Amino acid sequence: MYKLQEEMEEQVEMVGRAFVEHYYHLFDTDRSSLASLYHQSSMLTFEGQKLQGVDDICAKINQLPFDKCHHFISTIDTQPSSFAGGITVFVSGSLRLMCEEHPLRFSQMFHLIPTPQGSFYVQNDIFRLNYG
Amino acid sequence: MDPDGLSKAFVEHYYSTFDTNRAGLANLYQDSSMLTFEGQKIQGSQNIVNKLTSLPFQQCKHSITTVDCQPSGPAGGMLVFVSGNLQLAGEQHALKFSQMFHLMPTPQGSFYVYNDIFRLNYA
Repeated sequence: MYKLQEEMEEQVEMVGRAFVEHYYHLFDTDRSSLASLYHQSSMLTFEGQKLQGVDDICAKINQLPFDKCHHFISTIDTQPSSFAGGITVFVSGSLRLMCEEHPLRFSQMFHLIPTPQGSFYVQNDIFRLNYG
Repeated sequence: MDPDGLSKAFVEHYYSTFDTNRAGLANLYQDSSMLTFEGQKIQGSQNIVNKLTSLPFQQCKHSITTVDCQPSGPAGGMLVFVSGNLQLAGEQHALKFSQMFHLMPTPQGSFYVYNDIFRLNYA
């Protein structure tokens, strides 16, 4: 019983980590392709601004006032959410913009929902810079 | 109450309970609840409250800077993302933290914490 639970926890953690690496890799190298990770029902709150649906979310992300950037991830925490097969992921890290001297620290949470094809999409996404 | 109002009310209730009656947090978790506290995973209301009441400080005060919330799905759940400061009595500088809650509705019309992830934000 405990072994099964441990295995499930490891699985959730592996999926969460793999997703996070994939997400920020896309963000940093091919931002418009993030569209593949959101659906019409997806929600993003970006520094307090609320957006819904893959089109509006991607428009926002593509319009952010910087071209090149790199996300460095410090921590990734995962837990299964109550939604069948869903996973909550909590990330903290720093975001380096090419034109800026100091990286910005941020926290972000994702709620991932499984797709029939066996991957995940982002149903909920909340991003906040950590100031001070 | 709208979701934003509900999440703000929950957050205020959670942290004021934490700061004045930490053992009282037991009412906000159930056996299925999960807490990841600075990377340590804990499950179940009793274990969670044991962890929180055994943290190495007596008095503390949470000051909340931002609260963001979104509905999590058809079951009526709410995701709440908080950032703020944690002042420990006797410490000169407050600690910065971020915390994520996934709240699920109870039959009685309130919410309990199903998922809880806490991280300090270091410089």
